[in-house]
This record gives sequence, C-alpha cells and structure tokens, in this order.
Amino acid sequence: MTPIVLALNFALSFAGLAALALSLDRHHRDAFLSRPPKARARGLRVAGWAGILLSLAASVALEGWNFGPVQWIGALTGASLLVVALLSYRPGWLRPAALAALPLALIALPFALRG
Amino acid sequence: MRQGFRQSMAWLHTWSGLVVGWVLFAVFVTGAASYYRAEISEWMRPELQTGAPIDAGRAADLAADYLRAKAPAAQGWFIGLPQPDKPVTELYWWNDLVSPLQHALLDPRTGAPSPARDTQGGDFLYRFHFELNMPPLWGRWIVGLCAMVLLVALVSGIVTHRRIFADFFTFRRRKSLQRGWLDAHNVTGVLALPFHLMIAYTGIVTLAPMYVPWGITAAFKGDETRFFVEAGLSPEVRLPVGKPGSIVSLAPLVATAQARVSEPLEHVAVYNPGDAAATIVTIFEEPKGLAHLHPQIAFDGATGAELGTTGLVRPATRISAAFVGLHEAHFAGPALRALFFLCGLMGAAAIASGLILWSVARLPKAGERPGLGFRLVRALNVGAVAGLPVGLAAYFLANRLLPVGVAGRADLEVRIFFGAWAAIALAALLRPHLRAWREALGLASLLFLAIPVVSALTTGAQAFDGAARFLGFDAAMLATGLLLAFAASEAGRTRPPRRAEPAVPAGRPAQRAAGTPQARSAAPAPARRRA
Amino acid sequence: MTERSAAGTGPNGTGKAEADKAEAAMSRTGIPRSGLSYRAAVAGRVVLAALGGYGVAALCTALLSLTLPLVRSEAVTVATLASFAIMVGAVVYVFAARSLARAALGLGAVGLLLGGGLWLVNGFA
Repeated sequence: MTPIVLALNFALSFAGLAALALSLDRHHRDAFLSRPPKARARGLRVAGWAGILLSLAASVALEGWNFGPVQWIGALTGASLLVVALLSYRPGWLRPAALAALPLALIALPFALRG
Repeated sequence: MRQGFRQSMAWLHTWSGLVVGWVLFAVFVTGAASYYRAEISEWMRPELQTGAPIDAGRAADLAADYLRAKAPAAQGWFIGLPQPDKPVTELYWWNDLVSPLQHALLDPRTGAPSPARDTQGGDFLYRFHFELNMPPLWGRWIVGLCAMVLLVALVSGIVTHRRIFADFFTFRRRKSLQRGWLDAHNVTGVLALPFHLMIAYTGIVTLAPMYVPWGITAAFKGDETRFFVEAGLSPEVRLPVGKPGSIVSLAPLVATAQARVSEPLEHVAVYNPGDAAATIVTIFEEPKGLAHLHPQIAFDGATGAELGTTGLVRPATRISAAFVGLHEAHFAGPALRALFFLCGLMGAAAIASGLILWSVARLPKAGERPGLGFRLVRALNVGAVAGLPVGLAAYFLANRLLPVGVAGRADLEVRIFFGAWAAIALAALLRPHLRAWREALGLASLLFLAIPVVSALTTGAQAFDGAARFLGFDAAMLATGLLLAFAASEAGRTRPPRRAEPAVPAGRPAQRAAGTPQARSAAPAPARRRA
Repeated sequence: MTERSAAGTGPNGTGKAEADKAEAAMSRTGIPRSGLSYRAAVAGRVVLAALGGYGVAALCTALLSLTLPLVRSEAVTVATLASFAIMVGAVVYVFAARSLARAALGLGAVGLLLGGGLWLVNGFA
C-alpha cells in the first residue's frame, strides 16, 4: 500500500473521470462552450472507461484483490470530487489537468512497480 | 405503481433523513476524526515523548502491581501496552458489566500515574462516535438505530434519484438556492456512495451480536462466549470458581507470547484477576489484511500454563471481520486513510446539505409566517452543523488552556465541548437564521485558526523531541479553519447571483432558450420520467 | 429569481412539489395528508417498520442460523450479516405498500411463515 500506487490510481481515475465528464453535453459546454460532436463524445466516453478500468487493473495488479478494490474506489471517490470541484469553479482547467495527469501516471508507474 | 413506489421512496428518504440527520452528522464528523484518534491523543498529551524503546514485559508487571492495589476484585483488567508511537501504559478495568469502565494512564517505566495532562484525548471523539457520551448500552442502541435509518435513507435515496449517471458530476451552485443545495446533496451523496453504504452497513456489523443476538440465541442457546470461541475469535476463557487466588508475573508470559506471534503485542487482558481460575489473554495487532482479526493466546493466571489460542477462522467469519476492518481502516496507510477521512467528511456534508435542503425546499412564501416546525428544524440545523465544529475547537483549546493540575481536568474538557456546542445551538434559536449560520461558522473558523497559535504559546516552553512533531496537526487545524471561513462567507450570501458571470459566453442565453438540455432540465418533471 | 420560485423544480424528488406529491402518495386512500388519520397512518407505518422489520429480521436470523448447511458459528455469522439487509428490505416494503393494512398483512404473513419454520426446526432438533 505505497502512496505511489495510490497516486497512480488517482491520476488514472482522474483522467478517466474527467474524460467521462467532458463526454456529457452539459460539462463539455462548461469547459469548451459548445456541445461535443458525436464522435468526440464517444471517444471521450471510451477513453474515460478505459482510464477507470486501467486504474482498477493497476490497483489489483499492484495491491492484490484484498486491498486493490478498496484503494480503487477510494481513488475514484477522491478523483471524482476533484472533477466536480474543477467543473464548478474552474471548468477551463479540467482538460489540461486531465492531460497532465496522464504523464504523471506514466512517471508513477515504474516507481509503483518497483515498490 | 412504479411511479407510486418512487414517490413513497422520496417521502421515506426525506423524512427518515430528517429525523436522524442531526445525530448522524455528529456521528460522521467524530467518526472521521477517529481515523486520526492516535494523532489527536498524541497532540493532547504533549508531555509524552515518543520514540525511545520500552520494555513491554516490565510495563505489564508494573500495570499489574497498580491494578492489584487499585482493583483487586475487578472482573477484568485490560492493559494497553506501550507502543513506539504511544509511550504510555493504558489501563481499563471493570467491576461489573453495568458501571462505567475505569481508566488510568501509567508511565511505562515507573508504573506511577503518567505525567501527561489528564485528558480523554482522541478516545473521547472515538467513543462519542458510537456511544454519544451516554451510558454505553443507550448510546450504542441509538447510534445503531440511526445507522439503520441511514441505510434505509441511502436505499430510498438511490431509488428516488432519477439521474444518477447524467447528474454524476453536476453541481449547479449558481442557479437557484434550492438547486445548489440539491446538487451539493447529490454530489456528496453519490460520489462517495460506495463509502456511505459500506460505512453504514459495516458500522452496524461492528456491534452485530448486540443488535441481533437471535442467531446466537437459536444456535448456541444464547451462549455468546461459546460462539466467539467456535468462530475462532476468542480463546477459551474460564469462569471464576469463587476461590481466591493470585496471578503470576506477566513479563515471562509477554515474552513467551511475543516469541510466538510476529505482530506487535498490543494488550494483555486479565479476567477474574482475584480468582483461582484467572485467565490471562495476550492480544496482538491484526496481521496485514482487511480482516479485523487479532491473534490471541490465553494462559492460566495461577500457573502461567498456556490454555489455548484463537482457532481457525472460516470464510463467513473472515468476511464479517473484514467488514469491521473496512469500517476501522486500520490497514490504511497515510494516503488511503486521508481518502477515508475525506469520504467521512463527504458523508457529513451530504447529511448537512440534505438537512438544509429540507428547509430551503420549504421556505415560506413572502408574507407567510414560518411554522414552528420549520423554525425549529432550521435552528437545529445551525446548532448541529455549525455548533459541532465550535465544540470541537473548544475541546482542543481547553486542552491547552486549562491548568494542567486542575482537578477533574478530563471531564472539564468534555464539559467545555458540550457547553460550547449547546451555546451555539441556543444562539441559533435567538438570532436571525442566516446571521446565525454566518456567526457560528465564523466563530468556529476563528477558534480553529487559533488552535496552533495557542498551542505554540502554551506548550512552546516545554522541551519536545523535535519541533516538527505537531506540524501535521497544526496544518489540519489551519485547513479546517480556512474551510469554515469559506463556509461562513458562503453562508452570508442570501441567494445565488442572478445570472452569471465571466465564464459564460454571450451565446449561452440563446442556447438555453433553444431547448438545450440545460433548459430542459428546468422543464416539468414528467418530461424526463424515463431518463 | 426569488428563493421561493426556485422551489419545487427539483428533478430528484426532493423538491417541495415532489414532496407534496410523495406525501399525497402516502395517503392514496384519499385521506387528507394533514389530517389526524394521515398522521396515525404514518405513525402506524413507522411502528410497523421498526418492530415488524426487526421481528422479521430476527426470526429470519434465528431460522437461518439453524438451517444453513454450515458449521453453526458460520451459519450464525452469515445469518447475522444478512439480517440488516433483510430489515432494510422490510422497512422499504412497509413504506412502499399501498396501505398500512396491506403492509401489516404482508409482513405478518412472512413473520408467520418464518415463525412456523422455526417451530418446526426446533421440534425436529
């Protein structure tokens, strides 16, 4: 249960949830002032679920079936709260923050694997 | 019928949530704080120096000497051995099962009463979380009842919420007052829903044999001890034989036990210490894992011979123990524990926003006199939600400001906690509503911000092992104070801004008129029934 | 927009208008919702949900503890863990039922079945 695995979980969940939020008309408009084109919404939805599943896979692979799901749900909850906070106070920051979370997850990955 | 079902569930959610909301808010806040029970206790006893190794066996013998003098006829002694992060021997004993537990702290090296100031520390918040500072049986039944109603409120709330996924991320704080509170309630409720369901259910499970003993009644003829032994949760404990006796030295048993189990030894329990059939049980920290299962070894009190250990734990018992483990989250490292804490606060926020939503949805029309029930609910909301942080801050401040030697100090701290809370609740009845919110939250904010300052001024002169020892606690107090200041400033707003603000482009009103989903969301409900 | 005009548009059934509708739904027999009989009906459901729900959960726990094909400590644990979900289900049923009488009949029938089962099991044991 290293914090670095949790950070990896958190980054993946956050990026995934942000993509899912942006795939919804209302929040896409909050961030980009327009509705998402159909293909883009679909792409965001796929990317979002992929991020969430990757987060689950990472937590189970690194923490086992005992702690993995607990940590995954904890990270999802924290990340979704951050998405909501950004959407309602700084909607323009959501996309850059989600994009920044991905390289952070990549940086955390080797440390998580080693720890 | 389906529509009828949803409506009855809406009714159930509204009213079940209202009747237990005030108690549950306090249970959630003190429960979240209990994740940091050890840290709070450490801060509240600044005299204790952590870090130096302590001989556990000698500490156990010194504790037994103290208890032999103080409580020779007790039914049981419970000795908490010193740990690296808790350099104190903590004693509990009980003379019968009705009167309250007796408690003492000893210096583990001398066996004399601990030099630390007299305080209940984090244990007060922990016990309040499930006993409400009432006689244990009463408090536990009331909290259990509230937790059961919470489960009902959660289930009926899920049924009531038509658009869980569509509104998952939605917090329209700038629309109407009611919309903002509804969204706040939904967001804090839905985002942490797995936690809420888990914490309500597992909370009841921690006291399950007390709430629902009927399985034990049916299958074990009511013999609870037999059940715990067969489930592998407890070693055999002997009944007293009624002949006087004395117990052996504890130090060799502590050494024997420590050699057998790799987990840290946490407690030594002595049952019927004055009886010829006394039993000594050594209790270890739970091994790494979700399950809350403490390995135990029992010894004959008169001879020191081993009597038995906790037995094989089968799957259902392991699941049940994992429920308890999830509730307490002892397994969680600092980061995960912070997330559990955050989830607990989200639960408190969901309850508070639900309570406020109830009153906002029932605001009287202009010129209409508010009813007595409505005014009472609003005042209770302020008293429960804003009064508790004031009480908590007062509790921490009292710990630093009360003279160290004053008699009954620990009780005085608790009385100050309840006094400050009650004062806010009373003031809420007398002050205009919005001002009561702002003043109570503002006061709570100031008190929390004052804690690190007062702490530095009152304990700064003492020699601590490392100046950074309480930085984490101080930072948490400052963060709480700032959060409450933000809440106070928000509470000062009578209504949300009429129309919004810089981020909104010129095109938005037109889009809204054109029947975008946002406009539709304000349309009458039947249009969206299928959503 | 005043605070008041915002009320009652909640999409999630927690707004005032929804609450009114819901309260009307609680008295589908046509009893006015502020009347004494409405209050009595609500109080009746609360009592039935608390005592009846607990009773059904308790009977179910006892019966399962004796009949589940597990070691007896395991059977007790499974039954006890399940009892709280059973009670929640019973409470939801009581408040969702068309009338108090129907809820009482339903819960009473389940309780009678469970009690009968328990009596039989105890008789054979």
